[in-house]
Amino acid sequence: MKCHLCEREAVSGLCPYHEAAKARVQSAYPLWVRAYGRMEWNEYLDNVKRNVQTGQWAKEIAGFLKGD
Amino acid sequence: MSDGYTLVICEKPDAARRVSDALSGGTSHADQVGGVAVFRFSRRGEEFVVCAAQGHLYGVSDPSDERAVYPVFDVEWYPSDLLDEASAIAARRISTIRTLAAGASRFVNACDFDVEGETIGYNLLKYACGGKEKDALRAKFSTLTEEDLVKAFEDLKPQHAQGLARAGRARHAIDFVWGVNLSRALSQSALGSGHRYRTVSIGRVQGPTLGFLVQREKEVREFVPVPFWKVSGTFEKEGKRFNAGYAEDRIETKESAEKIREDCLGREAVAVAVRRSSAQIGPPVPFNLGDLQKEAYRAFGYSPSRTLQIAERLYLGALVSYPRTSSQRLPPTINYGGIMRGIGKITQYAAYTEELNKAELKPVQGAKSDPAHPAIHPTGEKPKRALDVSEAAVFDLVVRRFLASFGPSARRELAEVSLEVGEHEFRLSGGRMIFPGWMKYYGKYAGYKDVELPPVSQGDRLETVGVAVEEKFGQKPSRYNQASLLEKMEKEGIGTKATRADIIATLVGRGYVSGESMEVTDLGLSVVEVVAKYAPSIIGMGLTKEIEEKLEAVETGGQGEGTLLRETVRAIADQLAELSANEESVGHGIDSALMSSVAGSFVLGKCPLCKTGDLRIVRSKATKKRFVGCSNYSSGCRASAPLPQKGTIKTTSKACEHCAWPVVYVMGGRRPWKLCVNPGCPGKNKP
Repeated sequence: MKCHLCEREAVSGLCPYHEAAKARVQSAYPLWVRAYGRMEWNEYLDNVKRNVQTGQWAKEIAGFLKGD
Repeated sequence: MSDGYTLVICEKPDAARRVSDALSGGTSHADQVGGVAVFRFSRRGEEFVVCAAQGHLYGVSDPSDERAVYPVFDVEWYPSDLLDEASAIAARRISTIRTLAAGASRFVNACDFDVEGETIGYNLLKYACGGKEKDALRAKFSTLTEEDLVKAFEDLKPQHAQGLARAGRARHAIDFVWGVNLSRALSQSALGSGHRYRTVSIGRVQGPTLGFLVQREKEVREFVPVPFWKVSGTFEKEGKRFNAGYAEDRIETKESAEKIREDCLGREAVAVAVRRSSAQIGPPVPFNLGDLQKEAYRAFGYSPSRTLQIAERLYLGALVSYPRTSSQRLPPTINYGGIMRGIGKITQYAAYTEELNKAELKPVQGAKSDPAHPAIHPTGEKPKRALDVSEAAVFDLVVRRFLASFGPSARRELAEVSLEVGEHEFRLSGGRMIFPGWMKYYGKYAGYKDVELPPVSQGDRLETVGVAVEEKFGQKPSRYNQASLLEKMEKEGIGTKATRADIIATLVGRGYVSGESMEVTDLGLSVVEVVAKYAPSIIGMGLTKEIEEKLEAVETGGQGEGTLLRETVRAIADQLAELSANEESVGHGIDSALMSSVAGSFVLGKCPLCKTGDLRIVRSKATKKRFVGCSNYSSGCRASAPLPQKGTIKTTSKACEHCAWPVVYVMGGRRPWKLCVNPGCPGKNKP
């Protein structure tokens, strides 16, 4: 089975690289909520995707989780 | 002494000319033997013939030479021309040295005194001179100045232990066994997976080095920034304004940052503490090769391999000492005063040497030493030819570093003011140079800037003019650049001073890493991924480091090279068996990365003329020149454009803002440059 986001082999839909990036995106969400007081999940994903500091795999995962 | 002459073997033709000039007092005459220049002269009644290798004239190979067969554990030394058809020059030189050896009664190895030089000389004495490697004498020198060369030949040493040569030969054999087996295992796996043959290799030091890069690449690509805020205030005293940062560098929440602003606006600031201090900054230690490479990258953007090439040219011109050294120390035997006098004859350094000569000449010494050579230093000779821009730059850097190492410490005055605004604290700081010391000699490379000292005293009251709250995000980790990667390799103790730069260049050449930023490609990621899975020792640090330590023991006589070779073979045999047993999975793992790397390296972007084809890099069968062409050429699209013929073309996936043709980076030379491939791009006519 191929990864949803690249050509690499995947176990449950994502390759190990995108799986690790997904964990990073998920674990950073509470930090963003705390930083801004409140933030919806989708708004967070948009922000992560747009941010120039976000890594390539994390950007791809943010778009994937948002359903782009 | 018998009737024959003394045959001197140097490492490079330029070195042979210098040795001949120095020993003959300029009376040597050039001769041609077998189409190779040699030098003949008499010295104190003795006849000398000086000849040169041109780097390694012998190399290690597999006797079977079947590129599909592995494992390969038997290796032999062969003349380089048998290993590489392009090395015809090696055959000529070996033949010349063999002819000259027949008439020689005494042999002197005058190759560079380090592992590689010893290996070059040893192989020539053993194979081309009929087993003279043990009888030959050794000339040891660190510069190619007349004084040093004459001294070296008046104090020729016997070479009995030959630890450097044995370690050098062992290193070549181990690296060959490692490289050839891994390369064949990976390439065969990829071939078995349906991809056409392409060499996929991973050398002994390349593996862990690529491992560092991949580890960092993952951190970069997975990175998710977290927001924070920075608060700064603008304060005014007697019409003069100062910016001060909030004492806490990062404010974690937006609410807290805005509260600070609200609390401070309209309130007076009081200077509650003023700390003034001075700091001494000691001179930099003399250059070893790694330090020079890092500094040249910082100052000029030169890659480590380029800096090494330049430093070698300067060495062959007798302008600087031998550059492949680990030493950061300058012993008095190099003759500080003599070098200063020489440098003083070069106009731009004259005032500095005059100043330094007024005190006792005592350089700062670094911690690292090298038994064979001192730190890199100028010889004191003036350039006898016009140096090109890069040579002049590196020469200036070496001279100034040498001068700076003799200079006194610099002193800076520092001030930090704590401003209290209610319960909040801001900090204002500045610093200025009060005594430049060594920085004067190091010039523009010192890189310190003054920041105005705030004229504020304790108890002063300042008006708070404004408070700014700035949203920031955590920065993703920086990728290694060539200099920081070199530093990492040094710190981890892998590779040698002579090989690290080449290893980095090889990783780029193999397509595992691209660009100035050393971004790991999909191919690089996949190679590390599969090797780490099936042969972890190959990519890990442990085995490579252990081998390095044992090679050092071979140099000093503490370990036999045969034992080390056998141990290495045993260590990699298990790993190769694992790779071989999983050939299909390994091949599958690298196949898709190979496909995308090959395809991605040629496709520049969509064709702006036909809108459906891809613009690709194509090589003309007739002229062998590369150019841009459309994949729809056979359907009639005639979009094409010339490309620079030198340097590597890197795709950007960006279209030109003026004409929508693809933009590429041309890598090569000092910095990569951006190019719209459309020769008629309207943006090119803009001033």
